[in-house]
Amino acid sequence: MVPIRYNVRNLLVRRTTTMAAALGVGLVVFVLAASLMLNEGLARTLDQSGSADTAIVLRKGSDSEMPSSVEDKAISLIKVAPGVKSSSDGQPLVLGEVVVVLFQDLANGKGKSNATLRGMPLDRVQVFRPEVKIIEGRMAAPGTDEVVVGARVVGRFKGFEIGQSLDLRKARPVKVVGIFEANGSSFESEVWGDIEYVRSAFGREAVVSSVRVKLESPAVFDGFEVAVERDKQLGLEVLAEPDFYRKQSENTSIFIIAMGTLIAVFFSIGAMIGAMITMYGSVAHRKREIGVLRALGFSRSAIMFSFLLESVLLALLGASLGTLASLGMGLVKFSMLNFTTFSEITFQFTATPEIILRSIIFGGVMGVLGGFLPAIRAARTAPIEAMKG
Amino acid sequence: MTLSGLSIKNIGHNWLRTILTVVGTAIAILSFVLIRTTLSAWEAGVDNAAQDRLSTIHRVTFVMPLPKRYFDEFNGARGRIPGVKASTFMNWVGHKHPTRETEFFATMAVDSGTYFDVYPEMSVPPDQLANWKENRQGAIIGEALANQFGWKVGDDVTLTGTIYPGDWKYKIEGVYEATKKSVDRAQFLTHWDYLNDSLPEGRRDMIGWVASTVDDASRAADISAAIDAKFDDQDIQTRTMSEKAMTMEFLGGASAILSALDIVSLVILGIMMLILGNTIAMGVRERTHEYGVLLALGFRPKHIATFILGEGLFIGLLGGALGLLISYPIVEQGLGRWLEENMGAYFPYFSIPTSVSALALGMAVALAGLAALVPAYSASKLDVITALRRIG
Amino acid sequence: MSEEATSAETSKASAKASDTTTAKRSPIIVCRKIVRSFWRAKERLDVLDELDLEIAEGSFEALMGPSGSGKTTLLNLIAGLDRPTSGTLTVAGTEVSAMGDAALARWRSQTIGFVFQHFNLIPVLTALENVELPLLLTSLGSSERKKRAQIALRVVGLEDRMHHRPQQLSGGQEQRVGIARAIVHDPKIIVADEPTGELDRKSADEVLHLLERLNKEFDKTILMVTHDPAAAERATVLRKLDKGKLL
Repeated sequence: MVPIRYNVRNLLVRRTTTMAAALGVGLVVFVLAASLMLNEGLARTLDQSGSADTAIVLRKGSDSEMPSSVEDKAISLIKVAPGVKSSSDGQPLVLGEVVVVLFQDLANGKGKSNATLRGMPLDRVQVFRPEVKIIEGRMAAPGTDEVVVGARVVGRFKGFEIGQSLDLRKARPVKVVGIFEANGSSFESEVWGDIEYVRSAFGREAVVSSVRVKLESPAVFDGFEVAVERDKQLGLEVLAEPDFYRKQSENTSIFIIAMGTLIAVFFSIGAMIGAMITMYGSVAHRKREIGVLRALGFSRSAIMFSFLLESVLLALLGASLGTLASLGMGLVKFSMLNFTTFSEITFQFTATPEIILRSIIFGGVMGVLGGFLPAIRAARTAPIEAMKG
Repeated sequence: MTLSGLSIKNIGHNWLRTILTVVGTAIAILSFVLIRTTLSAWEAGVDNAAQDRLSTIHRVTFVMPLPKRYFDEFNGARGRIPGVKASTFMNWVGHKHPTRETEFFATMAVDSGTYFDVYPEMSVPPDQLANWKENRQGAIIGEALANQFGWKVGDDVTLTGTIYPGDWKYKIEGVYEATKKSVDRAQFLTHWDYLNDSLPEGRRDMIGWVASTVDDASRAADISAAIDAKFDDQDIQTRTMSEKAMTMEFLGGASAILSALDIVSLVILGIMMLILGNTIAMGVRERTHEYGVLLALGFRPKHIATFILGEGLFIGLLGGALGLLISYPIVEQGLGRWLEENMGAYFPYFSIPTSVSALALGMAVALAGLAALVPAYSASKLDVITALRRIG
Repeated sequence: MSEEATSAETSKASAKASDTTTAKRSPIIVCRKIVRSFWRAKERLDVLDELDLEIAEGSFEALMGPSGSGKTTLLNLIAGLDRPTSGTLTVAGTEVSAMGDAALARWRSQTIGFVFQHFNLIPVLTALENVELPLLLTSLGSSERKKRAQIALRVVGLEDRMHHRPQQLSGGQEQRVGIARAIVHDPKIIVADEPTGELDRKSADEVLHLLERLNKEFDKTILMVTHDPAAAERATVLRKLDKGKLL
């Protein structure tokens, strides 16, 4: 085999063209890696929100909590369904919540966007979501006009700071008293307030959007589901919380992945052509050299492999640069509309070893494809070229 | 033979590389045009959204309904608002196709008596319109939706409710055509009365929003304020704005994606410039000897620089032109038609704006020129002896 | 290097130009009715025309002739870089004219050492790495390869330039590295195409002296194409070629 250092040094000697081609590959890999990271960030954010022993009950056919409505009387039926866990004081762990969208001014003055407002029995938050931590201020008091704001939307919307207030409607202002974190989940993009206060402000008395139920274990889910869904009159649907959140992000996730892949594939054609130009140039430039290698007895396949390797090295160099740059995106917060709930969700570009590996492999494949034709041309070089002046 | 002729001849020096570069540039231009067209299709919603049509919604959130009686303030039953020409109201019902539930389309329960007065750009044949008004379970659908699901006039259709649970049976009575490109051609319009009568007592007589046309678009803001003032003392206050303003706000939610796409469209230009610069630099290095000969013949370094620049601009022009040439059939005929027909709700109008074409071509030429600058500059610094000594 | 072939009679038919100085050994290169034609603008051009030639093992032969006489074409054929249009060519006991591409490449790597007019060192590799190149086609381990490459460089007197790149060497040094590369895998035959064509007199003499040594001390058969009468002088046999025929 032709030694690898031969390829490495040739790439180094032709620095400018190597860098031009490698950067082209790098930009493509950057776009791909960034969109994979974005998707990962979205998935993590929503994954964090669900736990396997929690079921969520919605009106049948609702994609999200917002358009769903479950009457209070249905809650009492859910409480007696099999498999529902009870707290130490014997109360069934069932939580009805009302979810509405607030059309709110953005803090940067660039128009408005949708924020999610969740009304709940605030005294039971710790039982259902022990991961929730108040990081500033204090928890809102039950039965009052106080709200707490998720850490990720503080500063994104007008009025979302401690001590400020926002109007749910005329004469129904709420006061922000605290900021909470919830382990990076999508709850951090929400505002939480007292259920009764929110319901009356929006004229939704005696109705909740969703009901969350702690089960004795994930294994009893099926029994619980059958029991609740059996009553067609109620028209309810039961989902395990992780499945629910996966469904929530499905559309957005498909969109991000489809867009990222489409763009990366399109762009990679351009970058592969860039690599091809460089490699063709390299082959033409080294025609006599290749002739010498052939004269010395290196086979066509050895030459082909050597040039393919050189092209892959070139692409890997670019891919590493692109991936490295995409890691820098980890510092960027990204807010976008969740296409299922029409409310905003904020998440971060999140890198995983798998994403890094995939991006680099994608770059390597570009090197193989872009280098293929030039390598064939190199392999076709006649040994007699060595003798030509 | 002229000097510019010489620089064009140089392009033929390495055909394969020239072709690759032109194709690479063309693909970059195609990608650029595609992204830019997507962005402008999205924004076309804003540009084409009516300035003279107002929407009145719940002040806090569009999900919350308004009492039906609010409409009486518009239509003359309890008053009129100066400047308002015609008004109608509707509810978002969010039905889904029973089996193809991922294919989104807008289902709206509308006030059949007034709807088409406020939306004159949706045209329905008079006989179909008359039939629809007669049949409480009738529906009028957009032509794109009709194509998407293969529905035609006379078909019975059952949709699955989400906000309003249950199975909902309709009969297609008419198909509307859009006379303006901005209209969503995939809507499903039903009777509000039918919806209202089917609901339980407590949920009746609520409307999603009121839409009104005004006499004078320039007074839209004043009229909006007048409408909101009317409901200021009520339990539920309203927020009124023109469709244009509303679309802009809605797009605000997608702004992160829009700016990401914006950046990505610049990235492809970067890739294009790398390809162009690479080709030009390689050509220059290979021809250094040739330049030496030209210098020896008495050409000045500025001539050499001009050759190189001319060559760059010419390749950029070729690539840009080819890119546009392939963009039109691919973007407008292929992808654009598909999007309009299958995702009409998101992209009612998908076509390359002239400004995008001009920008793409301009960018191809300008960036090629820019990419040629460095090699041109360094070539202009060549002296005869070094140039002649360099072979290959 | 094997030394067994010393049978006396067999080299009679060969080497018109040669006489008493040639050792009487069996021919290592045998050409029979070799034709090599090229087509230029639909016109057939016989560069070699039914050429017969035998070269004895262990001889140092120079091939001269005006440009276009076919001497480089003949050298290419013998070195297995090219194949004759017709005729048979046997080199070192193998019928080269009948071999496929891959087999030919393998055969070259074992049988032929090349010395080029333009040296043809790989610019990105050091002297040592250039010399080591042919050994990569053998099954030798890396330390053994390195050792042999160093020995070859010692033979040409350039051990102290081992880690220099070609552009850091003078022309004469480059050609000596080229010679080291040609002998490192111990081939039977060395072909040299204008080995002194790009060198000044002094360097040319050094290179020719080296070739002589390789012939005498290491018993390499050397076939050299040259324009340079001084170079031709060093050879034991001188052949002249014109218009595709030996004179």
